[in-house]
Amino acid sequence: MNRVEQVMGLPVSVDVRAGGALVDHAIDGVFGWLREVDARFSPFKADSEVCRYDRGELAPSGLSDDLLEVLSLCDHYERLSGGAFTARLPGRRLDPNAVVKGWAVQRAASLLLAEGLDVFCVNAGGDVVTSGEPEPGRPWRVGIRHPERLDAICAVVESSGGAVATSAEYERGAHILDGRTGRPATGLLSVTVTADDLVTADSLATATFAMGTEGIAWVASQRGCQVLIVDAERQVHRSPGLRLA
Amino acid sequence: MKKTIVAATVALSTFGFLGVWLYEPGPLGSETVAVAAPAPSTVSSSDGGASEGAERTIDGSVESNRYGTVQVRLVISAEDRISEVRLLRQPTSGRGVDAIPVLQEETLTAQSADIDTVSGATSTSESYVKSLQAALDAR
Repeated sequence: MNRVEQVMGLPVSVDVRAGGALVDHAIDGVFGWLREVDARFSPFKADSEVCRYDRGELAPSGLSDDLLEVLSLCDHYERLSGGAFTARLPGRRLDPNAVVKGWAVQRAASLLLAEGLDVFCVNAGGDVVTSGEPEPGRPWRVGIRHPERLDAICAVVESSGGAVATSAEYERGAHILDGRTGRPATGLLSVTVTADDLVTADSLATATFAMGTEGIAWVASQRGCQVLIVDAERQVHRSPGLRLA
Repeated sequence: MKKTIVAATVALSTFGFLGVWLYEPGPLGSETVAVAAPAPSTVSSSDGGASEGAERTIDGSVESNRYGTVQVRLVISAEDRISEVRLLRQPTSGRGVDAIPVLQEETLTAQSADIDTVSGATSTSESYVKSLQAALDAR
């Protein structure tokens, strides 16, 4: 059963390799959860918890555990990346989105697992969480979008019970800023990270992209992830351990 | 704003209080941390004035995978400010002394293959409609 909905400003597709009313209900739960996250954490919704905290209407002790968790993760990756990855650029609103998406989609995967569904692939705007295998002995095959050709992929990685995230400009133009300078990131065309969970994969991909060419060595030294990076010279830098199809 | 590496959670505090980080790296997964229940708070509504509240702590949830665990504890002062952020646990990734693995270099190519899904931002509904992912979802 496969369903696509626009939520959190993204096309989100949930592909569950099972059918029936229970599956339908579980997928309802996934989209319900993602819509709840959007309402609570969107920096674009004035009544969200994030905006109320940003305006000083909520004290730190009044924050939900979920938001504390998200802010802690933001902080962790900010320190890990030397400030390249940040939820707060000077002069801008608090924006923990870079962590929120991966965190929310990873939890959505937990919701499916809790319903006893263990063969699925969730894709939220190009960030992917997988579980199990769509056919016995065959992992999910995740195409990595070609950084310059809309209709092509540049690699295929295998995933079963893990996450794949890609950070790139594509059609959005320069939207990823280097938190250290506040200027648009340059030097890399796309960064793909595979990891056990989407928070790790997504945050490392975004941080690496923000760091530019120096991010290549930085992310290579991080544990628990494999990378595929295309730099501005069209060279591909790939972890030897990346599971290519 | 000064360029200091300050906990985001602290920098985000409406009071702009600068916290002190205590690094407490330990063997992975070997620590057990008692989760303190936040004391009932009586928060004063005056602007940073005296309050009847007591200092208390809030622990973030434990985030872990097989590579490490992260958990933070916020110390909230009697005046309801974040006075300290402690890392109860943190992963060792990125802080080790491992040599940086050598990445393999290859030339960018275009591939066509039998795939289940696509990784790479489809950030707008228009771009999605034209994307490979949309074609896969429509199968």
